[in-house]
Amino acid sequence: MDRELIIESSALTKMYGPHLALDSLDIRIEKGATGLLGPNGAGKSTFLKTILGLIQVTSGEGSVLGYDIRTQGEQIRQRIGYMPEYDALNPNMEAIYQVKYCGELIGMNPNVALQRAHQALEYVGLGEQRYREVSTFSTGMKQATKLACALIHDPELIIADEPSNGLDAKSREFMLNTLNITVQSGERSVLMASHLMEDVERLCDNIVLLHKGRLAAQGKIEDLKAIDKEVEIHVWGAASKMEESLKDSGLKVRREGRVMRIGHTGDETYSQILKSAAEVGSQVRKMHDYEASLEDLFLVIMERLGHDVKSSDELLEGSI
Amino acid sequence: MTEEPFEPVKEKEASFDAKTPVTGQTKMQAAWSANPDDDSGAQIASAPQGQIFEQVYQPWNGELNPRWMRNWTILRHHILGIFKKGHRPWNLVTKLFVFFVIIASLTDVAMVVLFGVLGDSYFYDLWGVNRNNLYGHVLGFFPRNILYYPILAALLVGGIISEDRTHGTSAIYFSRPINRFDYASMKFLSVAMLLLLVINGTLILYYLSEILVKGRGWAWIIDTFPMFLGAFLSGIILSFTYTSIGLSLSSISRGKFFPAIGLIAILMGTKAVASIIDRLFENSILYVISPFDSVCHISQELLGIESTYNHPWAWSLASVVLVNGLALYLLANRVSSMEVTRE
Repeated sequence: MDRELIIESSALTKMYGPHLALDSLDIRIEKGATGLLGPNGAGKSTFLKTILGLIQVTSGEGSVLGYDIRTQGEQIRQRIGYMPEYDALNPNMEAIYQVKYCGELIGMNPNVALQRAHQALEYVGLGEQRYREVSTFSTGMKQATKLACALIHDPELIIADEPSNGLDAKSREFMLNTLNITVQSGERSVLMASHLMEDVERLCDNIVLLHKGRLAAQGKIEDLKAIDKEVEIHVWGAASKMEESLKDSGLKVRREGRVMRIGHTGDETYSQILKSAAEVGSQVRKMHDYEASLEDLFLVIMERLGHDVKSSDELLEGSI
Repeated sequence: MTEEPFEPVKEKEASFDAKTPVTGQTKMQAAWSANPDDDSGAQIASAPQGQIFEQVYQPWNGELNPRWMRNWTILRHHILGIFKKGHRPWNLVTKLFVFFVIIASLTDVAMVVLFGVLGDSYFYDLWGVNRNNLYGHVLGFFPRNILYYPILAALLVGGIISEDRTHGTSAIYFSRPINRFDYASMKFLSVAMLLLLVINGTLILYYLSEILVKGRGWAWIIDTFPMFLGAFLSGIILSFTYTSIGLSLSSISRGKFFPAIGLIAILMGTKAVASIIDRLFENSILYVISPFDSVCHISQELLGIESTYNHPWAWSLASVVLVNGLALYLLANRVSSMEVTRE
């Protein structure tokens, strides 16, 4: 049975004059937490503006929470909570009134908005600081206030643009935990755009990777990782010969000193490794399946797209 | 059910040797375990730990109000911010200046009341309601339109849109169901209504004070009401013009200073240039570049008082329409370029 889709697009294209910002995107995002990844200029911001119903698409169609992005932008924006990347807070307002105002702008009654602002600020850990001016807040507290603004009307979908940006380890932990609780016990969905793959991997079950306006990958992180399954071995002696032997037998090998990662092609991979070791007289001191990180996955995807990428930093800086 | 305050030590079988790290816990365990006979009697304190911060997501199923209520929120946020906490935080100088201008604009009311009570007919006629005094209340140059209203307008428009660019707060509007027309029009109305409150609010008080102090009847009201309406309409045109120029300047800026000083410079600069030309060449035509003088010219026609300009008033009307049109075009253009995802 198909899981509930919260965002769906078909051949979604957006052009700014001659510049193609989104190139025929077919995206299906399920309920839950999803990471939106991509280098600068990949089209993340354009995609977010499109699903918020703020810009008209050139062609194609899409829906968010069942509402058409071309004609029902207002209904979409009433049902989502957007947490911008930058501050987006009036520094001279107390947090409680800032959050209340955000609720009123959605359409909440002033008294209800005030009550919900108290709850939302309590939820994001600012219960004791709610009457402080935003200008006196740390980066973490400002991020939490923005999250409270996004959550005040209990939206079905929260779009968080770099929610852990600039946070120290403790604040980052708290932010990710809060989003996680919102998804798990609040049963809300989160679409998180982030440069920090570790955060995405921790919070999200699914990712959408954009590159140069195109969809590079989408789906469950676990499923995507399966395309990059490897066996890691630690060898002692004749490592170079071992590498050659493995390559000669048709296996894909990545080597760094005595550690090699061999592409998993099936159960016969293990016996082939041991056979090669016996042939070249090398000792295999450790052998285990290597669990790829999201970063590894990125590198593989980019490699398949024909880019020579050394690290995810290089990718996300948009230098390719 | 009450919990036991103590529970037996679980690590009875713990062994200690040279490699065991020396910590507070191992020291305690070593001490309790020193005598095997004491094992059964070893107790450690145990109490349920309090939860200081429990993070629980609370859902909400309330109804959301329609568009007009959201727009009312923006309007209320800006206007009430002058008078009370919890709304837009206007700075203290602006709040004090609004208060000062309201008081200062009521000087004619005070004079009417004073000389009405004293019964001095000469001074009463000097300050009482007539065409010229109604015109002067709204468009008198000194002190009202050099010291009060332009400066008040400058203080009000300064950060009204530019602050949303500076702080990125445009996102809190546009990521919600607020469209750009509603955003700009509510900001416009907020400033215009504050100006109207000061200019036309005090005009109403002035007119009412005459009725109350002198006990004017229906005949007087019917006679003077068209003049009052003319002055009232002039106040609306003046507030509208100051607001549209000011907001357009605020929309192209990131700070408060440029829009404020820009508005005063436009109002005073154009008037100064036109005035010099008028004095030198005895030709008032250049006053069409002065928004203030153009409004004055229209107002003189509305109130039926002798014009101080020698060019047709229709040119001033065209000038006011053009200036407001350009200002609103610029405002609309700049507001439409405000970003949600990144500013």
